Amino acid sequence: MTADPITLEIIHNGLRSITDESFIALMKSAYSTNIKERRDHSCAVIDLSGRLIAQAENSLPIHLASMWGLMTAVLAKVKIEDMAAGDIFVANDPHVAGGTHLPDLNMAMPVFVDGKVMAFVCNIAHHADMGGMAPGSMAGGMREIYQEGLRIPVVRLFRKGELVADIFDLLLLNVRVPDERKGDYFAQVAACRLGERRLKEMAQRYGTPVLLEAFDEIVTRTRQRMERAIGTIPPGTYRFADRMDDDGLGMVDIPIVLELTVGNGRIRADFNGSAPEVDGNINLKLNGSGATVAYAIKALLDPDVPNNQGVLDVIDVAAPEGTVVNCAPPAATAARAHVCQRIVDCVIGALAPAIPDRAVAAANGANTTAVLSGIDPTTKQRYVYLETLGGGFGGRATKDGKDGVQVHITNTSNLPVEAIEMEYPLRVESYGLIEDSGGAGKYRGGLGLRRVVRPVGHEAVFSGTGERFRFAPWGLFGGKDGVPGRFQRREPDGSMTALDNKPAEVTLTPNQAVVMETPGAGGYGDPAERAPDLLKRDAESGKFSPAYLSRAYPKGKP
Amino acid sequence: MSWFIGVDVGGTFTDFHCLNEATGEAFVHKAPSTPDNPARAIVEGVRAVASRLGVDFQAVRRLAHGTTVATNALIQRKGGKVALVTTKGFRDLLEIGRQVRPHMYALQEDHPEPLVPRHWRFEVDERMTADGTAERALDEPGLALIAKEIEAAKVDAVAIGFLFAFISPEHERKAAEILSAKLDGVYVSRSSEVQPEFREYERLSTTVLNAYLQPVLARYLADLGDQVGKLSEKIQIGINQSSGGLMSISRAHRFPVRTALSGPAAGAVGAIHVARLSQRPDVVTLDMGGTSADVALIRGYATDTAHDRQVGGFPVRLPMIDINTIGAGGGSIAWFAPDGLLKVGPNSAGAVPGPACYGLGGTQATVTDANLVLGRLSPKGLLDGKVALDAAASRRAIEPIAQRLGFSVERTAHGMLAIVVANMVRAIRTVSVERGHDPRGYALMPFGGAGPLHAVDVARALGMREILVPPAPGILCAQGLVVSDLKEDFVRTRRTRLAAAELPAMKSVIAGLAAEAGRWLDSEGVASSEREALLTLDMRYVGQNFELPVRLPSAALPDIEALARLFAAAHEQSYGYANLEAPIEVINFRLTGRAKRAETKSPAAAKTPSSPPAPAGRRPVHFRWEAADNTPIYRRDALKPGHTLSGPAVVEQLDATTLLYPGDTLTVDAAGSLLIEAAS
Repeated sequence: MTADPITLEIIHNGLRSITDESFIALMKSAYSTNIKERRDHSCAVIDLSGRLIAQAENSLPIHLASMWGLMTAVLAKVKIEDMAAGDIFVANDPHVAGGTHLPDLNMAMPVFVDGKVMAFVCNIAHHADMGGMAPGSMAGGMREIYQEGLRIPVVRLFRKGELVADIFDLLLLNVRVPDERKGDYFAQVAACRLGERRLKEMAQRYGTPVLLEAFDEIVTRTRQRMERAIGTIPPGTYRFADRMDDDGLGMVDIPIVLELTVGNGRIRADFNGSAPEVDGNINLKLNGSGATVAYAIKALLDPDVPNNQGVLDVIDVAAPEGTVVNCAPPAATAARAHVCQRIVDCVIGALAPAIPDRAVAAANGANTTAVLSGIDPTTKQRYVYLETLGGGFGGRATKDGKDGVQVHITNTSNLPVEAIEMEYPLRVESYGLIEDSGGAGKYRGGLGLRRVVRPVGHEAVFSGTGERFRFAPWGLFGGKDGVPGRFQRREPDGSMTALDNKPAEVTLTPNQAVVMETPGAGGYGDPAERAPDLLKRDAESGKFSPAYLSRAYPKGKP
Repeated sequence: MSWFIGVDVGGTFTDFHCLNEATGEAFVHKAPSTPDNPARAIVEGVRAVASRLGVDFQAVRRLAHGTTVATNALIQRKGGKVALVTTKGFRDLLEIGRQVRPHMYALQEDHPEPLVPRHWRFEVDERMTADGTAERALDEPGLALIAKEIEAAKVDAVAIGFLFAFISPEHERKAAEILSAKLDGVYVSRSSEVQPEFREYERLSTTVLNAYLQPVLARYLADLGDQVGKLSEKIQIGINQSSGGLMSISRAHRFPVRTALSGPAAGAVGAIHVARLSQRPDVVTLDMGGTSADVALIRGYATDTAHDRQVGGFPVRLPMIDINTIGAGGGSIAWFAPDGLLKVGPNSAGAVPGPACYGLGGTQATVTDANLVLGRLSPKGLLDGKVALDAAASRRAIEPIAQRLGFSVERTAHGMLAIVVANMVRAIRTVSVERGHDPRGYALMPFGGAGPLHAVDVARALGMREILVPPAPGILCAQGLVVSDLKEDFVRTRRTRLAAAELPAMKSVIAGLAAEAGRWLDSEGVASSEREALLTLDMRYVGQNFELPVRLPSAALPDIEALARLFAAAHEQSYGYANLEAPIEVINFRLTGRAKRAETKSPAAAKTPSSPPAPAGRRPVHFRWEAADNTPIYRRDALKPGHTLSGPAVVEQLDATTLLYPGDTLTVDAAGSLLIEAAS
């Protein structure tokens, strides 16, 4: 037995090094902006029973679901003894292949040592387009996954190291700009092969039995670490219900209902009572719901715990099939991130009374998206400008929520104003915090963001996706709600026209502007307990108006 | 006869490297640092050096200085009070930054608060656009009112950052004029001067940092200038920049942010110098000190330049030598993670209390303690016995960990070192993949006090065959300062399509940069024969969001096809592919002006010394945890060019210890560096 805590640490370090190297190799050779700039990709090592052993440090929480789902689908379809060295499997479909939405292309490669499969290296990358009705394969307005893009079940893209050209031709014919997508596929293949090579080197150094034992031990220790962390929550059943604003296709007030049962080092998440799946594209598969619960639990209890199966193993997820958190074919799923955000709020909301020191009030709870497109009057070329905007982060037990930031399952950066204006015929008139938008509290919620954009010298079209535009981010323990977001159009006379929460194709003339406002977050604790120096800062900074302060803190004296 | 002195001020010691310009004669000196006023140690050191050399201060021509005053002021948040003036509609930009959190999963962790509180961030009506025209004129009466408010706030410095000032600096320039005239004794920094480059948040952050550091650096530099001036008025002071070149005190005064990472940069310059002397063009450096290790890649005797770094939690957009820092040093502490795995670092015992063996109150087991109990470090201690080490204290510190593991102290210590090596190996691998290189083609150059102790382990794990230990590994930064060039970087952002029709426009941008560089070289009194210009274009495929710097072979612009080829090669190197048809654009034009020093002469090949080196003694050293080998100990100064050795062996010198495993071989090359071949 060699898996002592020192050897384990070195092997664990080596495994993370493999996933990190693969992560960088993929990022450097890919074409899609989503991968290169926003790092919407992940790399992992997975064992023969489909357990996640190591995941690259910068991987996105939702990809935990796809890694897990993909390997389950691969192992269900192909017997390990039927795999050959050099095989590479691809898949993307949420309904039959463990994915969460179609643009995330998943890849897995068995790693052979001494003629036998020792483990798998896997990666996921968000391709800029996966076919379907609209460029980018992310647009709203579709009711079925068939409309969203090409569905790929688990298939071999490489057989014994040889490209299966028939399959590849089929994949590439169904996407826009196939040359670029080819580059993305090969970037993923290169990352698989780098991971394979490194894992083989490790197997040579330590021997397969030691590595397999280390895999077990790493997962077990992480699971035990999570169990101990869960042990700090008083056992019991905790409930919370929240609502989505709408699905973009007319369905409003979509409930997400969660019952968490905590005990014996485990958490059971039961979504019974949540809404049936919707026509819009916000539906989530059950593995996505599970990964989101895992994100929230990890973030609340132990942010530094390694990302592996041990985190998932302590969580059981249940939801009736055909609901918005466990959708059935052919539900549309492109914008599933919005439901993820609400699930996070439900987990935190449910556990808040049990672990008040670690809970946070509801954050902006959205993945507010804005798309402006048109024909550039100078170049006569079509342009599409896409941005996701942050908002307020919830008030915390010891400090205010952060203003103007991406929250929970998303953490992508903004595009600089100078980049936007150099690239597109647009003018950003202002970009700033929305005063008075954070919920009052002992520790207040963070402020939302306001961005005002107008087209220059042409007519542009605006589409957007807002959430928490109707149901405000809630405060905790007496803290007040944050201010919901909204989209408006500023007319030539300066008046404002309200837009839908998920507006599609709104025309903007050069003398109009779109005003995007993202939600502020909820406050934490009774506003009456807010310390005078914090009130003084609220006033001095101008983040809150005197009128607001005297209304929200009638007894407070800055 | 004239001397160049390099002074590197560290947390514990101030290092001096002195070079006789005419004879090539060199020697080193080390003195305790004086953190309350670093200038004191410098001036006292120069006195000591001069008296030891028996020379007059008049013989000292240049004092090159790497300073941590800016870095420390930032880390300790001890800069000045700053106000910001920015474009109307964007006062919150400094606070929003890139709207991201520092850590995906940490709910309680935020980026630091901005250095300018919101009520000192003022908006003025003005607006420049991407094509360089003013959409709204600068509201001068409004600015006059702002000046009154700033005056009332009693700040030390003002930062000015307007949108698109990197294209059209007129509004910023005018605003700086107005504010300077109205605000007496207040420093003014503007973004178009600090770093006239695209992307407003990073430019703004850099400008604010500059303003924040100005009051502190100005005080320090004035004091240093005074005190050195009292020694001799002939001493030219050069302040090291993060990009690895020197600037005058007056430039440092205007652009203090350029010194924010000057220490590690000097190490890389010193490493290039040593690599040249030993004729090893491709080197991975490993500068391991007490708290951290810095890794840099040198290719063809040159480092890459990075432009995006975080200093004290804030982004800085300035040319800096591309160095990666890992939390692995001699003081790194061993601890158990909640899952029971043993970790080493990134927390460090630092200089105080330091490792347990320092006897300064440290009780936690560190890397240095592990080296000591394994016999790899001498129990007589560092600095030739001036700092004694307490091996019993090391043993006591490691024992609780050993007990929890059920291991012997030696096995535990051995494991600690294996973990710290694994951390460094992982970092070097990541950096290499990121830059598109395979470390196996490189030599490893360890320096800093702790580098040579772990070099063979690191090299072996990475498949690197050769290790190059410089003659004075503990003092390489000071040596780097002595050999640094006087240097200045100039930049213009002009988004330009790579097409023949654009060549005249590109040439005129470059001519503008060259003129600016010329004025600077004039002001520094550099003779025209010593002047050198390097041209770098930041390019990308149209549609990409990030640029790749492409260094041009000469300061003259080649034709479009040649530029496209150079870009394709750089893209291939970094990203693994190039697209020969896709349109390319230039974003930034960079020109580096430099005052060349005399070429480094490689020493003549050494004759093999007549007798082999004699060990100064022997002691048991654990190369394996199970048993110790009775190992010969050599003094570094007994090893002469041409000498060879086989491991096991330990080579000791003033402030560094080099370890050879059984089977490793060592040759002293003509330059006095140790060339080690790691046994495979």
